[in-house]
Amino acid sequence: MEICVVVKRIIVCTKPVPDPKLWDKVSVDPVTRTLKRQGIPSIINPLDKHALEAALSIQEAQGGEVVLLSMAPTFTTSTLREGLAMGADRAVLLSDPLFAGSDTLATAHILAAGCRWIGQFDLILCGNFTIDGSTAQVGSQLAEFLDLPNVMHVIDLDWQATHTMIITQKIEHGYTKLRASLPVVLSIRKELNRPRYIPFAGIIAAESKEIEVLTNDDLRIDPTLIGLEGSPTKMAGLEIRRFERARERLEGSVDEIVQKLVDKIYQYGVI
Amino acid sequence: MNEYNGIWVFAEARDGILHEVNLELLGKARELADQTDTHVTAVLLGHHVKPLAQILINYGADSVLVADDPRLDTYRLLPYSLVIESLIRECQPRIFLMGATAMGVELAPRLAAKVRTGLSAHCVDLKLDSKGQLLYVVPGWGGGVLATITCPDHQPQMATVMPGIMKARAPAQRKGQIREIEVHLPDKELGPEVLEIKREEPEELPLEKAEVVVAGGWGVGSQEDWRMIEELASVLGGAVGATRPPVDEGWAKEGQMIGQSGKTVRPTLYVGVGISGLMHHVVGMDQSGHIISINTDPSADIFDTSDVIVVEDFRKVVPRLIKEIQFRLRG
Amino acid sequence: MDFRFSEREEMLRKSVREFAENEVTPKMEAMEETGEFPTELLEPMGKLGITGVITPTEYDGVGLGYVARTIVLEELGRVCAAMPMALQVHHMACAAINDFGTDAQKKRFLPPLAKGETMGCVPVTDPTGGSDVIGMKTSAELKGDKYVLNGRKCFATNTHTSDFWVVIARTAEGAKGLSAFIVEKDAPGAKVGRKENKFGLRGANTGELAFDSCEVPKENLLGQEGGGLAVAIKTISETGRTGMAATALGILTAAYEQAGKFASERVLYGKPISALQAIQFYMAEIYSQLEICRLLCYRASWMKDQNMRCDNETALAKYYTCEAAVNAAKRAIEIHGSYGIMREYTVQRLLRDAMVTVPAGGTAEIAKVVLGRAALSPFKK
Repeated sequence: MEICVVVKRIIVCTKPVPDPKLWDKVSVDPVTRTLKRQGIPSIINPLDKHALEAALSIQEAQGGEVVLLSMAPTFTTSTLREGLAMGADRAVLLSDPLFAGSDTLATAHILAAGCRWIGQFDLILCGNFTIDGSTAQVGSQLAEFLDLPNVMHVIDLDWQATHTMIITQKIEHGYTKLRASLPVVLSIRKELNRPRYIPFAGIIAAESKEIEVLTNDDLRIDPTLIGLEGSPTKMAGLEIRRFERARERLEGSVDEIVQKLVDKIYQYGVI
Repeated sequence: MNEYNGIWVFAEARDGILHEVNLELLGKARELADQTDTHVTAVLLGHHVKPLAQILINYGADSVLVADDPRLDTYRLLPYSLVIESLIRECQPRIFLMGATAMGVELAPRLAAKVRTGLSAHCVDLKLDSKGQLLYVVPGWGGGVLATITCPDHQPQMATVMPGIMKARAPAQRKGQIREIEVHLPDKELGPEVLEIKREEPEELPLEKAEVVVAGGWGVGSQEDWRMIEELASVLGGAVGATRPPVDEGWAKEGQMIGQSGKTVRPTLYVGVGISGLMHHVVGMDQSGHIISINTDPSADIFDTSDVIVVEDFRKVVPRLIKEIQFRLRG
Repeated sequence: MDFRFSEREEMLRKSVREFAENEVTPKMEAMEETGEFPTELLEPMGKLGITGVITPTEYDGVGLGYVARTIVLEELGRVCAAMPMALQVHHMACAAINDFGTDAQKKRFLPPLAKGETMGCVPVTDPTGGSDVIGMKTSAELKGDKYVLNGRKCFATNTHTSDFWVVIARTAEGAKGLSAFIVEKDAPGAKVGRKENKFGLRGANTGELAFDSCEVPKENLLGQEGGGLAVAIKTISETGRTGMAATALGILTAAYEQAGKFASERVLYGKPISALQAIQFYMAEIYSQLEICRLLCYRASWMKDQNMRCDNETALAKYYTCEAAVNAAKRAIEIHGSYGIMREYTVQRLLRDAMVTVPAGGTAEIAKVVLGRAALSPFKK
């Protein structure tokens, strides 16, 4: 019996992020006011692994192609190689000095151009946010520039033969169930699945899989929409907070102390 | 650039209830508006939501734009963003604040892309510089880095803020303008269809997965006083932890023990009560996001590993703390 | 000479480390308590490629070499040494069948081993002694189309979790009188006996087998009749020693990491104890041994991958790394002070595990016999 391939091509957007185990080694360049990241190895943004796992599960169930897409400097190909070892079929890396300094809006333009270049996709999966910037903005903005619907905070998804998807979105105190027509852009939360460990056979296979590098000469995006020029938000200052316990002693009457405690608890965002 | 005027706050409502973040943002918007002599407008979408407009005015809005329409009854990203986009283009606000809630996190970036402007996420502070430009203070790298961002050439300057960061003003009977908007939406499929919305009580999380842990030590003193630990954990929606002595005494279970021979926890908030802070306990919790410790002994070792130190008898502090949290949660 | 690991090897290490930290760690308490191997991990290890790492791809293995295998076992050993102990014996069965088996035998027995559907077991040691292999008494007599085995095997790892065992038994007198057989567990007359209660490497089941007129089809003869000693020696000296060395290397790494972490956190006299020269010297010792053993283990594995004769190098790697692991574990315990002798702290387990690696898979004394011979051979007149 022939399995009908409903979801023929899935693009998984991924970003290399500095390994959090070594974050305390990072410093700020006083001149450019950017972070000096050299020497800190990159890993795949953890939530991107969940997105990739979701794509691979769909592929295992009904076939189709899984393509990794990343906008990053060329020295980060090892993280793409990891994604290929997990099981993605090929990778497309968008890399150009003109892309440097892009905020989320500019990044979304670039990724949108990359998606259009890959073409004929049924689904785009991203991690809900990255652990470095944690803005969680690129998914929605990418969808806007591709003129596609998007759903964030995805904790469950179920592809249907009718070229739609049943999606469960986590909201405060519960969830929403939605039905979306493909193509759609989904931002994945970690509750969705457990990413597979990288199989050894996958590591070997990844060595012969393609990582295609594209510059702006290939994508031809209007230069005013990318890089620093294309970024409405600008960095005005950057400060490292060394992780030391604050050891702040609360003084005052018991009532005053209690007030301050509740303020802090609210600030921590746990209630 | 100068035609852009006014500070907007998106008023998130689900099931006819305003999210408390709206009121906090109104408090901040009011503060910024008073500094620059401009006005605050709340933007409210939904169905049968008009009665909520006055609340927004009482908490600081000068005017409320209400888009009350059956098609907006349930939040959906595309219809909401199309309506708000047209409002932004029509009224051209200078600043637009939204809560970094599940809805806000999805909606704000889509809007920013639609009107081609800058958006800063989960700001921990918003200030105005000498030129009246908004400065966003944003943490990154898990909180290890603090960036100051500006959006100098695009309007509206957009920001999302997490609940609990800003402070709502005390409400007062205020007068304001309520303007009803006619909703125009294209007559085609506007994104996914909502099949079901389910409210759920969070299930009992295992200790290692809890976002909040309240742990007690030998200093708690008795089974009866241990109840305060459990109550505080409950009101914070967290789990109960313990050092070895409470487990030995039977006030706590073996599975609640945190430390070298127990569990390792990394909650966002850890509250230690009556714990001295011996190494074999500390190694089980020192990677917690924020650590609050309460102990009568000012030289307790635990204070070296704490962010917030309270040198006080927990029997005086904790009951009042529980009451205050319950009070604020209700309001 | 390029002493660096390749990108492939780095990725392999990362993958196993993640698996070991996330999946093996939660099993450790039960393993210590019961001494049982967590067989539920066989399937995910099969999927990953751990159980089939050295088996050729045509038999459902991954087809990697011994350097890769050493990385895998080292990373598992860093978390829980009982795991690589059991797995290295499993690989011994894979190697024996791959090197000496007929096509039919390889097709039948290698895939289930590679996929982790069963564990491999190579019972060599008779109660008469393991070091004295030629002295074994377990016998196998050809009767018609079956071999009939009589005797006992002890100190065999994975006896209780294997569907078949590679058993060495005597078919004739003398050194050329040993033969290897694949004995399936439901063979009439085969019995799985007691389980040993080891004080270390708990979780690698070590047990006894008894053969009471056990009937084995003659197709299950592995290699030539009389070629059993070659099977035993090749498997033990190449696959067994490198496997034990990698296991001990994992323990050494764990001892180093735990000692270093503790020394940096424990505060005495107002400073972490790592500020004390005595501790720094201990750490220098441990670190030196770790670096030396890494070189020995990977060199021996590399030679095996190049199909070079390497039994001296494997003997050296095995005996030296196991001793070094014992010393490093002892030092690590000492660095922990009184915390080091508490069961709640894992560092005490490292010493117990390290000590069990010393006699397992070949004693240090036998290794020294081998090395003594190698050392003197250039001077023989």
